[in-house]
Amino acid sequence: MSRNLVELVRRHHALDAPTALEVLKEAVELRGEVTDDDRREAARRSGLPEAAVHGVSTFYDDLLQPRGARHVRVCTGTACFAATGGAHVEALRSAFGVELGERADDGSVSLAETVCLGFCHSSPAVRDGDTIDAGPDVVARVLADACVAAEEPAWESLLAEPVLTRPGDWSGLARVLADGVMPEQLLEEVEAAEVRGRGGAGFLAGAKWRFARAAEGEEKFIVANGDEGDPGSYIDKYLMERSPALLLEGMALAAYAVGAAHGFVLVRSEYPLSKPALEQAAAAARADGWLGDDVGGSGFAFDVTIVEGAGSYVVGEETALLACLQGLRGTVSARPPFPAQSGLHGLPTVVNNVETLCNVPFVAARGAGAYRALSPDAATAGSKLVCFNERFARPGVYEVRFGTPIRELCEDLAGGLREGRAIKALQIGGPLGGILPAQLLDTPFDFAALAAEGCMLGHGGIVAFDDRTSMRDVARHLLRFGAHESCGKCFPCRIGLQRAHALFAGEAPIERERLEALLETLELGSLCAHGGGMPAPIRSLLCWFPDELGLA
Amino acid sequence: MRVAVDGVEVEVADGATLLDAARAVGRWVPTLCFDERQDPFGACRACMVGVEGAPGGRPLPACTTPCRDGMAIATEDPTARRVATAVVELVLSELPEPPAPHTELAQVAERLGVGELRWPGEVHPQVEADTRHPYLAFRHELCISCGRCVRACDELQGTFALTATGRGFHANVAAGLDEGFRRSACVSCGACADTCPTEAIAEVSLLGMMEVRA
Repeated sequence: MSRNLVELVRRHHALDAPTALEVLKEAVELRGEVTDDDRREAARRSGLPEAAVHGVSTFYDDLLQPRGARHVRVCTGTACFAATGGAHVEALRSAFGVELGERADDGSVSLAETVCLGFCHSSPAVRDGDTIDAGPDVVARVLADACVAAEEPAWESLLAEPVLTRPGDWSGLARVLADGVMPEQLLEEVEAAEVRGRGGAGFLAGAKWRFARAAEGEEKFIVANGDEGDPGSYIDKYLMERSPALLLEGMALAAYAVGAAHGFVLVRSEYPLSKPALEQAAAAARADGWLGDDVGGSGFAFDVTIVEGAGSYVVGEETALLACLQGLRGTVSARPPFPAQSGLHGLPTVVNNVETLCNVPFVAARGAGAYRALSPDAATAGSKLVCFNERFARPGVYEVRFGTPIRELCEDLAGGLREGRAIKALQIGGPLGGILPAQLLDTPFDFAALAAEGCMLGHGGIVAFDDRTSMRDVARHLLRFGAHESCGKCFPCRIGLQRAHALFAGEAPIERERLEALLETLELGSLCAHGGGMPAPIRSLLCWFPDELGLA
Repeated sequence: MRVAVDGVEVEVADGATLLDAARAVGRWVPTLCFDERQDPFGACRACMVGVEGAPGGRPLPACTTPCRDGMAIATEDPTARRVATAVVELVLSELPEPPAPHTELAQVAERLGVGELRWPGEVHPQVEADTRHPYLAFRHELCISCGRCVRACDELQGTFALTATGRGFHANVAAGLDEGFRRSACVSCGACADTCPTEAIAEVSLLGMMEVRA
């Protein structure tokens, strides 16, 4: 990230200027596209140079796909792919006579691709204007201009007392302030609880906080990563929409421990209900004295700002997330410096996933021991939210113990597949996770156990492919997503994913040796987990389904 | 602190990178997005080196990895070289024509012994050279998105006339609102052309010489 641009952004933020991205998003909402006049206006209002604004305007999906009078966004995520094999996309394209990313000549309608709307429990999903509809008959309803809001998924805890699937009540922060727990003590409690990051990497939250607390900076920030981009995952969506106060409490506790006075939530634009839910919860918290200049009469000051993204998967990576938050191109930056040293506006910043932060109020209220006891037989402390795609009989979001066998999750909890279909394979934890074949369903649901099978816990989304799915189609689907979402910064990912997708999109037999060399280059060469992780599912497919891949 | 590069010990300053250490002992590490006048960027991934005891034996990017006391760096680690060579192959494969022999890209490719390109495919579309500026010409199809021109304009000149554009395979660079150098904030300093490793941005006089030669 350019230090000069970050400094420009910081100075203009101090003057309450909007970011360039905010101005460009307004232009799209207003006129359906970004013009050069909009770019000049964005440069003028944000203080960013015109060229930099141009760069931003060519990066985000929301700014690139023109909007007609009626804007239809079709989800091409993995759960929707598993449900229809892409037939819903084809049906809409041919019925509207408009390609993805295009607008009809008369401006009446536009069709855009979106990944993903987070209605994986009821695929396929389509957003028509402001209505998100989903389910097997969604295409017919879109074409009849009769969309209805899709039903929301189950939201249940298997624990005697829910830790995550509960509305926040600020009891954790209340205890900390009432008992005079010092910031260092709270940090030690979170370290003792061994809260691992739930966004995918599993890094210890306490360690991140410790770095940020020790870092020098006149101001520090807490950033909640609400860019739950993994297709097939809709966990953070419902945390933000059903437990927004829990997230805000977690952020306040992080701020207290680290010494921050302000927090930001970056919410993805594919979840239009999340930002209003968080803003409503923040307003209520301010009214109740849980946010503001003097939280609970303690002298501790903390408040939050909710910011919406603009369509980019890689923005879920922490350095790209910070770039997006500052209204810049959402590309990845090499670390060091780590955000804990130099993050938002060049100042020490903790970036934690939404679910990670939602664990903190329990730790603060009940202590590390109680938290570690939640999953007594597992390597990982705490509980985990897991969600299932539409192929299952009872898809939804469930709070479970770490270490539960995946078979138990899929068969007992989610009821197996509908219509008595057989699970062919699962992709767990998003597009960068390996593919678990049906014969390995007894693997425990935990970080190390899944890693041993070339898979990952990731974000906790479980997407089942049933016995009708072609695994070559799965590879093509994943690599198309990977290539489209590459931020374009590092060479292996920028070019390599395009090449890998082309191999699977073509008809020619694939030479295994060339493919493996390309996967190695992506895995070892890429700057971030996007290019580095895309080989994992392809390797799984090479291992378990080589006969289906069309190898030479 | 002291580190060893290919068995040669060297004293390096705090904050020195693996690349600094390698260069201090005169060892070559291939680079494409690196320019010593600019902050390291970490985009090209050609500078991969081996480091003893690195997690999983994975190669590390030399330009953005800080040295730690006692590190043993292998500039010709076979895995690192394999990745670097593959990366350069990929870059060559995105250009519609091979880079001119005197360019940095061509020289790095030659020194690495890049031969057949294993993953040919789509190339950047050939567009007419943008020669609207009297001194600087753009040939977007030769851009490899190394970011050196953008950083030269930002960090060296402080003009911010250039930006990265697009994303994924379609990433490129543009001046101003992509209306060419002439209508951008460009002050014609030439720092971008000077650092460009492929002549995607070149001084017009040089382009003219090339045309005469052709």
